[in-house]
Amino acid sequence: MNLFEFCHGIIHWLVDLVNNVWYWLGDFLPWYFWEFFTAVGDFAASESHLTLMTILLETLIIIIVALINVLNFLWIFRKLSGRILDFYGPYYVGYRIGGWLQNLADGVKLFVKEIIVPAKADRLGYLLAPIIFVGSSLLILAVIPLSVDFGVATNASGEYVPAGAVFALAAFSIAPFAILLAGWSSNNKYTLIGGMRSAAQMMSYEIPLILSAASVFLLASSFNFVDIVDAQHDVWFCIPLFIGFVVFLVCLIAEVEIIPFDLPEAEAELVEGWTTEYGGMKFGLFYMTTAVRSYAGGALATALFLGGWQGPWFIPDEIWFLIKAYIVYTVFMWLTWSVPRIRIDQMLVFGWRRLLPLAVLNLVIAVAVKSWGWV
Amino acid sequence: MTWELLVFLFLAGSALVSAMWVISAKEIVHSVIALATCFISIGCLFVMLNAEFVAIVQFLVYVGAVTIVILFGIMLTKREIMGGERR
Repeated sequence: MNLFEFCHGIIHWLVDLVNNVWYWLGDFLPWYFWEFFTAVGDFAASESHLTLMTILLETLIIIIVALINVLNFLWIFRKLSGRILDFYGPYYVGYRIGGWLQNLADGVKLFVKEIIVPAKADRLGYLLAPIIFVGSSLLILAVIPLSVDFGVATNASGEYVPAGAVFALAAFSIAPFAILLAGWSSNNKYTLIGGMRSAAQMMSYEIPLILSAASVFLLASSFNFVDIVDAQHDVWFCIPLFIGFVVFLVCLIAEVEIIPFDLPEAEAELVEGWTTEYGGMKFGLFYMTTAVRSYAGGALATALFLGGWQGPWFIPDEIWFLIKAYIVYTVFMWLTWSVPRIRIDQMLVFGWRRLLPLAVLNLVIAVAVKSWGWV
Repeated sequence: MTWELLVFLFLAGSALVSAMWVISAKEIVHSVIALATCFISIGCLFVMLNAEFVAIVQFLVYVGAVTIVILFGIMLTKREIMGGERR
């Protein structure tokens, strides 16, 4: 039973329940209302309405699961930072579960703050940028399945969205647009410089990212997450494509802008980078979306290189997938607190002169492996 | 009146309106927002035609490239940042 069938069952049961109450109410009214009641009830029981509601419920479940994982990621971020930098991290709110509720408390605090638009800001761009950023980042999660059955892209016949992996990369590439828009429309030189840096960084690191993902598509001969994971049944792609795996991880760190590559929001130079003028829940959304993108990055690395949900049988597939994604994020955090921030010129040289040739070399290796039939 | 027709009319309308907005906007960044809206609507129209891969490439190439248009818009137009009169 996949997620679609599960949601379809729930929706069917709910609509039957509501329809019973609806017709029971209709009986109390005069006869000339009956036709209206029957029409509404028929519409509610029709297959197109059921499918629409099923898709909405499925989306809700996917988003809630993703956001719970994002809370876990933020908690890991704060606790692990504390462990590495020798302080405690959050521990007071939700004492018994290691301060897990601290992020929820911070979210509530940000949520009740006033929404302020700077007087000289460009109103349209200022208000639109968080929407595009959050929307495009949550769109990545829509196509990433946690197992064969747990994915929003399944329909009744169990088909997956074609080219789901390319869709995830495409959704990743919308973010620089929102960031540059946020930086420009705040009308502040620090935000503009931060936005420009971010756009330069994201666009130059997207090319090796997509090239190293292309080698995986070549080996799996599919754009589909389920086929890619099935192709890794014997050997995970991080072993033949080790160079590509390293390039992919480095590019992911640059894409989600955590410390070795956080020069768009370098605190010492640019106040808070492109988020300087944002306050309240809009800042909270940006903060949350960074974690959403970390989660999506860890999940992409897991699905493309680390064998996805394949593991020992005694752990459920979804849990196994999440464990791998958490380990990838832990490695990110470990790197974050081990190396200093690089300069802007070093960043461009590193992206264009080191990672791009390595990604092309990795593609050549993938072609060789495929043509000799090793995998 | 089917659902598909309704969605098609909405997407086609948004593509046309945003295309008009591209050429009528005063600020170049506003016209870039409109351009992105237009491309996303056209990508969704491709999805409705069961051409998912074309739609994804539309998002990847066109909406990603809009950022470069903004970059050129910022670099090539005159604008006072921090103080001074807007427009």
